[in-house]
Amino acid sequence: MREVRFHRALYRGESVDEAMKVYARFAKLTPVEEDDHWVVRVEGSSEAGERRIADEMANYALGLTIQRRTE
Amino acid sequence: MSSIEGIPEDLARVDLADKRAILDLDASLYPVEAVYSATYVFIDRCYVLLDRPEAGTLRIVITPKQLDDAESQLRDVVGELANELVSAAWRHQITQENRAKIESVTMQAISGAMGPPTLDDLEDFDFTDEAFEDPLGIAMSWEEKYAKKTEDGEEE
Repeated sequence: MREVRFHRALYRGESVDEAMKVYARFAKLTPVEEDDHWVVRVEGSSEAGERRIADEMANYALGLTIQRRTE
Repeated sequence: MSSIEGIPEDLARVDLADKRAILDLDASLYPVEAVYSATYVFIDRCYVLLDRPEAGTLRIVITPKQLDDAESQLRDVVGELANELVSAAWRHQITQENRAKIESVTMQAISGAMGPPTLDDLEDFDFTDEAFEDPLGIAMSWEEKYAKKTEDGEEE
């Protein structure tokens, strides 16, 4: 199991949700809310797979956050 | 975790086991907008995660997607990212300093593109507003300013 921590001041919640929807078919993704972070737990078939999905999802969430920050 | 030659370890370090580099930035020097601009350039060839470990500090965790020679490649990526951050922060500062000018030029361009006012627009225009205050009487005509007054106080 791997965790990705998205700081609330740096990532839009909608972008994190959208990234989760995109990558949910590749691994089991569980959202957990903390005070400062949106945390996503990634459970996949292998450690390498979990890492790849976590990294890709983080990039996707960052890309969306940057593209939509002026909205 | 090991340091990168020429860069203090509290600013940037590499994690060879996880094949990633970590940069901690002073948020007063690198605004979030600049960090977004700089990191966006890298997301096609690196995985990027942002964090705020403490108030006033921004953290960038960057992992190249393709890694051949881990240490030298990570060092190169950190160098490129640092350059991009300086460039983005500088662009951000220029934009902030010239915001009023940029908005003014944009407004002029938009109003110019709308074309000249129509007769209906002119008919509806309110000309009663004073254009500006004129305490020294500069906008007054010579006749108005120096006309001889009659005993009744009326101008001749």
